[in-house]
Amino acid sequence: MQEWTRDRLAELIHRILRDDLLQVSDAFTPASNLIEAGLDSLAVTQLMLSIEESTGVWLDESLLTPENLASSETLAACVHEHVGGR
Amino acid sequence: MSTSADASDVSKSGGRLRLTGADGFLRAFDVETRRRNGASHLAQVVLRLGPGFDAEAFRAVLADAARANPILCAPIRRTLGVGTPAYRLDAARADGWPAFTLHSGVQSAAPGRGPIPPLFFERLNEVRSARRGELLRVDAVSRGGDQPGTDLAFTWLHMLFDGSGSERFVQFLEARRRGAAPAVPAADRPETPPEVALPRGARERGAMAMTWQRGMQELGRLRVRSLAGPARDVQQALVYDVHSFAAEESAGILSRAASLAGFLTPMLFYVAAAVRAHDAVLRARGSVPESYVVPLPVDLRPKGGEGGVFRTRVSMIWLQVRADRVHDLALLLADLKEVRRRAIREHQVENGVAAMDYALRAPARLYAHMTRRALRGELCSFFFGWTASFCDGVDEFFGAPLLDGFHAPSVPPSPGSGVVFSLCGTHLNVTHVRQQGVLSEAELALFRAALVRALTGGA
Repeated sequence: MQEWTRDRLAELIHRILRDDLLQVSDAFTPASNLIEAGLDSLAVTQLMLSIEESTGVWLDESLLTPENLASSETLAACVHEHVGGR
Repeated sequence: MSTSADASDVSKSGGRLRLTGADGFLRAFDVETRRRNGASHLAQVVLRLGPGFDAEAFRAVLADAARANPILCAPIRRTLGVGTPAYRLDAARADGWPAFTLHSGVQSAAPGRGPIPPLFFERLNEVRSARRGELLRVDAVSRGGDQPGTDLAFTWLHMLFDGSGSERFVQFLEARRRGAAPAVPAADRPETPPEVALPRGARERGAMAMTWQRGMQELGRLRVRSLAGPARDVQQALVYDVHSFAAEESAGILSRAASLAGFLTPMLFYVAAAVRAHDAVLRARGSVPESYVVPLPVDLRPKGGEGGVFRTRVSMIWLQVRADRVHDLALLLADLKEVRRRAIREHQVENGVAAMDYALRAPARLYAHMTRRALRGELCSFFFGWTASFCDGVDEFFGAPLLDGFHAPSVPPSPGSGVVFSLCGTHLNVTHVRQQGVLSEAELALFRAALVRALTGGA
């Protein structure tokens, strides 16, 4: 089984958002704010499904707080806690 | 979901612009509603303005917008009566459409902003010809009383814009007045790719459409009942009222929505509130269904990019919840979240695009007919809309302050009831559009009380 570090998760989340879900410029980085970049309820659910496909972890929606969705990095940290806790 | 720069929606001659699948689906409603109920399937957005509205500047900017964007008055026709229906940009009208009328003689002397002009209800019940390009009509009614100003209604055939597009159009016109927008919105240029790129293979697209269709048919396993009951051939008679919550009360509702439904999915809280209001009336009638079915529009515009103004750019997911879960808000919300998540997981959004795309080619009324047959004559429990911040960034419109604004989309005689939520500045507006007579006075009071209680959490 692949080991999911925080950095790898952040890279995965960033890639899904950049390539599949958001229309963003090159200035969009793993530290960019996701809500400001246009993440909405549909995109966040699609993101959660993609994360589940890759890691097997479904993140409960109660954890999708503005703080956790501040950036790909903060979301990765939140997912990492749950990947680690499996 | 992905986009691709495949075939443009505009024909090589530049004269025909393809309808989106959702346009085709709504065209089916228009055909059905005109045939059975003697009215078009229209939608309305209303701006309640303070003093200072510059009607002549508005008239000029609207005409200029139509010249640059002929879709605003383009006939919708099939080529030689067959083929895929399209906006005929090459045959756009040049004789008074989009129509604008300033009704300077109409006054309301009521306190505050007064009642909504009855003319606006009349407009919602008109017959418009898509074939003749009668797509958009704007009416300005001057208002007296202690808050003088102008009430402005944009009433359009519900294909030209969707709810979000209509707000974008208001923003676009105001930006044009200030000289701050190009004549053609960037995302409406012909080279802009479609929001959802469907597979090229007809078999794959067909499978997607069939999956969506099967999902709709399965909704009928649990009995559904709208306030108006199954479809009937009666004259459409729409009216609406708007409940505006004060700023403090609105803040409380928004906070409750975010904490109970999640800050990204507050619309599920509003769906739940609308379900409970309808449930209160049906319980009082002693005709509680087994389930409530609500079509939830999903905006397909790119996230973070500039979205288009014209044409309907939505898909739909169908929410179904059991009536025996409605009494408990936490259970109801948990079910709504799960149903929505499952729908997205099962690609209902993309499948809906494929299915609606077929509505352009198939006999247009087929889908509505199949849904009604699956649900024993019903289409759904009620219509629902949530558009968040109303005309974000528009504080002033053609020289007049924007005091209030809301949506009032049509709802056919069955289900006969629709609820739309939007935020205007700091206050929450709830528009309840319904067929006249679908609720008695006592039922209307019960509906309103249940809705307010569900939103505020009050006793």
